[in-house]
Amino acid sequence: MISFSVERMVDSLFGLFEVFNPIVEPYRRFHEKLPPKIQQTITAFLFILPFGILYAIFTILPIFQTFYISLHKWEIMGTNIRYIGLKNFERLLTRDTQFHQAFEQTILFVALTIPIIFVGLFFALMLNRPIRGIGIFRTIFYLPNIIAVTVIGLIWSRVFASSGRGLINAFLEQFGAGPIPFLDQGDLATLVVSFTTLWWTVGFSMLIFLAGLQDISQALYDAAKVDGANRRQQFRHITIPGLRRPFAFLCILQVIASFQIFGQVDVMTRGGPAGNTRTIVYNIFETTFLYFQVGYGTAMAVIMFAVLLVISIIQLIAFRDQGLGN
Amino acid sequence: MTSVGAKLKRERQQQENRRNRLYVAAVALFAFIWMLPVLWTVVTSFRPEPALQRNLASLIPHPFTTENWSFILGSSQLWKWVGNSVFVSTTHTLAQLTVCSLAAYAFARLDFYFKRILYVLVLAGLMVPFEATFLPVYLLFANLDLHNTLIALILPGIASSFAVFLLTQFFRGIPLELEEAAMMDGASRMRIFLTIILPLSTPVITALAIFTFLGNWNSYLWPLISATTTEVYTIVIGLRKISQAWGFVDFYGRNMAAAVFTAMPIIIFFFIFQRRIISGIAINSGIK
Repeated sequence: MISFSVERMVDSLFGLFEVFNPIVEPYRRFHEKLPPKIQQTITAFLFILPFGILYAIFTILPIFQTFYISLHKWEIMGTNIRYIGLKNFERLLTRDTQFHQAFEQTILFVALTIPIIFVGLFFALMLNRPIRGIGIFRTIFYLPNIIAVTVIGLIWSRVFASSGRGLINAFLEQFGAGPIPFLDQGDLATLVVSFTTLWWTVGFSMLIFLAGLQDISQALYDAAKVDGANRRQQFRHITIPGLRRPFAFLCILQVIASFQIFGQVDVMTRGGPAGNTRTIVYNIFETTFLYFQVGYGTAMAVIMFAVLLVISIIQLIAFRDQGLGN
Repeated sequence: MTSVGAKLKRERQQQENRRNRLYVAAVALFAFIWMLPVLWTVVTSFRPEPALQRNLASLIPHPFTTENWSFILGSSQLWKWVGNSVFVSTTHTLAQLTVCSLAAYAFARLDFYFKRILYVLVLAGLMVPFEATFLPVYLLFANLDLHNTLIALILPGIASSFAVFLLTQFFRGIPLELEEAAMMDGASRMRIFLTIILPLSTPVITALAIFTFLGNWNSYLWPLISATTTEVYTIVIGLRKISQAWGFVDFYGRNMAAAVFTAMPIIIFFFIFQRRIISGIAINSGIK
């Protein structure tokens, strides 16, 4: 029989480090003479060190570099780099109509994906009943959420494909109807991508609301029943206020996630038709990796960062009393 | 009297049951319609190409073929991509848990100089979107000639502010007395961390591990720009490549088989960890 003991595993692990004792022992004697707070500072820094190095390299430094690069005309191969001050931003904000279009498109996606929260609430209410076997549906509706965007995008782009090579149009063809150019017409493509996003992510909102619903005390409903409140009144005065926190949380996440829409667009429309579904991130991706203009792409990233920061700060203030402010 | 009351009660119970069954049936019908595209995808992957040319919109796999699937399952390239994904996501997850739990222990339990400012600096990372950092990181890997290696797919994102935040919160909730007793016995901080803190934190660590793994497995933009040769594709990026190569006209069934194949490992993963995923959502989103 194998006995499992954390203690013993750690012992043997520490045993490996005994070879360093000749160095460690003199240090330990020195360490113990230090004031306690200094001792703890040294220990703490050693604990934080691996994280700190990676955090500095992959988060802190790149933020500053992003600002730095955005002030340059910088091509990706690194041969043509020239300081140009704020010219990138000037061009972006005043003349670059493609960027303006991408910005508007992104806002449109944000607006069109807000309903995901309400559909999630609807699903949660639908499944929040003490009936045997209803749990399986939570799993079913949540499942798409963990599947990669490539799979989701592939399936739905085949469902909505514009010619007879799409499920819906092939179906319509049997009755001599269609074809509907779902992905070949700008507004329709926007709706299709938004719907795909809904189908993909609504399960997450559903689960958050279900958790929220379960946190509402049953005693409140019992008391309301005693007072003669009907179902609608209970919903209006107990359920809705009880869900404020998950609702605030989802609003924050949804807006930020929709601002960063990229995968669905890349898989389903590649920004088309005629740039109609091109989002900010897709625009950054094209500028940088198709036209190799890192400096210009980075300037877009800076603007996006600033906008997201402003949005999160506004949201944190707006939802402060929901206890999400800290 | 009592028998009448019992009868009434039984009748009401039966009525209730009937209503419930009807309700579940309605929900089931809705779920079926909601999942119809998935069902169609699976069925299509079992239909031969000529039949698909004639009529795409069918849920009956007749005529039936396993040719699409034998092609996909026989493709060493797809298996290699799955292998890459497994390796990258596992390594990334283990590294993140190690690095972030060490840092979190310091923030939760040690009293040191610059603690506040350092912790604020870590939390500030929660506000930094991927887009604000990925181009310099891309250039860094380009300068080091590390693109098209698995290391480039593993490293970014290991130092996660969110993980440190979540773990710090949890570690703070562990009673101090447990540590003090060990301290009396002369245990070092590292020993306390490994033998007391970590074993007591398995629920939160498992939840974090699952979501880190899922997030990394499904990550899209970074592997798309970093991995440009087929040997280092993850399965998620690999599927994009082959679906673009095959398009909408040829190999329709094969394409669908590839999509199902790509989703399969994560669906299996989901059913293994189902309970923890469903409850972990609440932990990870700080709702509970």
